[in-house]
Amino acid sequence: MRRVVQAQGASRGLALGRARVRQSQVFDAAPELISPQAVDGEVERLHLAFDVARSELMEMRQRLQGALAHELGEFLDLHGLILDDPELLHGLDDLIRKANYSADYALRLQRDRLASVFEGIDDPYMRSRREDLDHVIGRVHSALHRNPGSDVIGLAGDVLVADTVAPSELAQLTERGVVAVITTQGSALSHSAILARSLHLPLAVGAHDAFAKIADGDALLVDGSSGEIIIEPDADDLRRFKHLQRETARDRKALQRLRDAETITLDGVTIRLFANAESRDDVAQAYELGASGVGLYRTEFLFLQGRESPDEDQQFLAYRDLVMGMRGRPVTLRTLDLGADKADSAGICVQGEPNPALGVRGVRLSLSQPPLFRTQMRALLRASAYGKMNILIPMVTCREEISAVRQLIARCRDELHDENHAVAKQVNLGIMVEVPAAALALPQLAHDCDFLSVGTNDLVQYLLAMDRGNEALARSNSPLHPAVLRVLQNILKFGQRRGIPVSICGEMAGDPVFTTLLLGLGLRDFSLHPSNLLEVRRRIRDVALSDCQRLCRRLLAAKERGQMERLLHGGAGG
Amino acid sequence: MLEREVTVINKLGLHARASSKLVQLLSTFRANAFLLGRGREVNAKSIMGVMLLAAAQGSTLTLRIDGEDEAAAMEAAVALFERYFDEGS
Repeated sequence: MRRVVQAQGASRGLALGRARVRQSQVFDAAPELISPQAVDGEVERLHLAFDVARSELMEMRQRLQGALAHELGEFLDLHGLILDDPELLHGLDDLIRKANYSADYALRLQRDRLASVFEGIDDPYMRSRREDLDHVIGRVHSALHRNPGSDVIGLAGDVLVADTVAPSELAQLTERGVVAVITTQGSALSHSAILARSLHLPLAVGAHDAFAKIADGDALLVDGSSGEIIIEPDADDLRRFKHLQRETARDRKALQRLRDAETITLDGVTIRLFANAESRDDVAQAYELGASGVGLYRTEFLFLQGRESPDEDQQFLAYRDLVMGMRGRPVTLRTLDLGADKADSAGICVQGEPNPALGVRGVRLSLSQPPLFRTQMRALLRASAYGKMNILIPMVTCREEISAVRQLIARCRDELHDENHAVAKQVNLGIMVEVPAAALALPQLAHDCDFLSVGTNDLVQYLLAMDRGNEALARSNSPLHPAVLRVLQNILKFGQRRGIPVSICGEMAGDPVFTTLLLGLGLRDFSLHPSNLLEVRRRIRDVALSDCQRLCRRLLAAKERGQMERLLHGGAGG
Repeated sequence: MLEREVTVINKLGLHARASSKLVQLLSTFRANAFLLGRGREVNAKSIMGVMLLAAAQGSTLTLRIDGEDEAAAMEAAVALFERYFDEGS
């Protein structure tokens, strides 16, 4: 029987595959007693599951490679230690032998006991360690429920259905040929979603009733753009899928021809496409696709991956690799943008803030920790000698913050000079425009800035007072609101008038649906993930600026979201 | 049984990475090992136990080791604390 589950699209692409459900049932395993004769077998089953989990971790450890190998490796080592932890193992056998509980229930009791200790500590860092514990126990639990030798995360042709998926798993999933992922939780703005998009792995999130409706082995048709999941698709669905698949293949080929093409509108206006790059692969791809530079490098990923803050030399090497990777094209590095909602594992962030999105984050956090900020600034300035570098400050609200950063730069420059380090003569300083106050006070703020970068993800969240991670608001949380468009238009006009370059680096800039709108609003510098670059380039080459401006006027006059959507999907010519 | 006071001098304290190193080191010995501090006593061979101490820089803990190779285990563990867990500072 054909059924439909509606989720949210988080990484586009269509996929047809067989469901592989990974439900973490351990957390609600029911009290189950086994017969005394079954005890030996049950204990052995549990030990075997631990062995399987151990060898899986070891296998993952050995297969790690690439940019994130070091950091992911440390996570896996930690999971390995948890798996062998005497606190976890102790008493587990007795729960089966003496109390005659099933292995599932014994595992759940142990997990609950340990988790309650972690939960007693009010510290986001400790809470995330509880997630580590859950991942490990979940791995043992799923090993209990399958034949040895089969795989926990899916095989070629599978669609993984899970509560959440860790960023560290995604690369392995694609490598194994998993065709799509469906999660019951999560948001399109999570780090996993961003990674899925760069891997071209279709992902649908927030599929609340997926576990109730989808069974192992069901045929699933997943649309990662609309978030529609069709269970047991019928003949019409399959024909439509085949047709779309052929079209997609043709489309990819056509896109590849644009690798060396100029980014220019039909009426001859040149647009610059910069890349949002996190890894070396991103940088290499950006260079190859002819990006004008790197428009946003988020330095916090260096801090999020490790178990402690990277020191000056580690940061310097990472920044230098990036700058050299673009071979002279400009690279914009954003200083640490952490907050309690995006906490690192080294404990830099202020903990227990009641409202982290409005708390000590971005430049506020950096300025509150002078030694940390100074280390980063020194590393950045040292790397500036190897290419063309811009420094971008996140979450700026007032001019004092910019002045403080300028002073820090001047001081670090003097120190480095005395220590005989090379530093570029010209390092441009820009600010993220993402706090509404900054967008409204640009004449005062921009005085000290060489460029502006609009972070639409946060700007939209703050303008609409809608948490970007809140699934319940995901549908209304869109840049298609008159207030957002007006603010964007004002920022872009201000930049043009004052000759200050303005780029947009939010997800909006990489979404071809918004390309004509942004052109019409006056945007000339886009900053987007390399995986979206060719598509946005094609969109730009297909339109005339004058048409975009006309569309934009109509959008600004539109009264409601539905009307805006119709105009947008009608295209610039409509 | 041996007991020694140890001070956490590395900047980051006993977070995951330092805890992992301590647990890995002590697990190579046969002796039982416990850490006492902040009103808790935890198994020093348990990663979750050690992390739960959440000992920050400057905390003083008592390390208790009991077993045939206790002297060697104590010497190695104290050295690890004194080396800042090889974190440099």
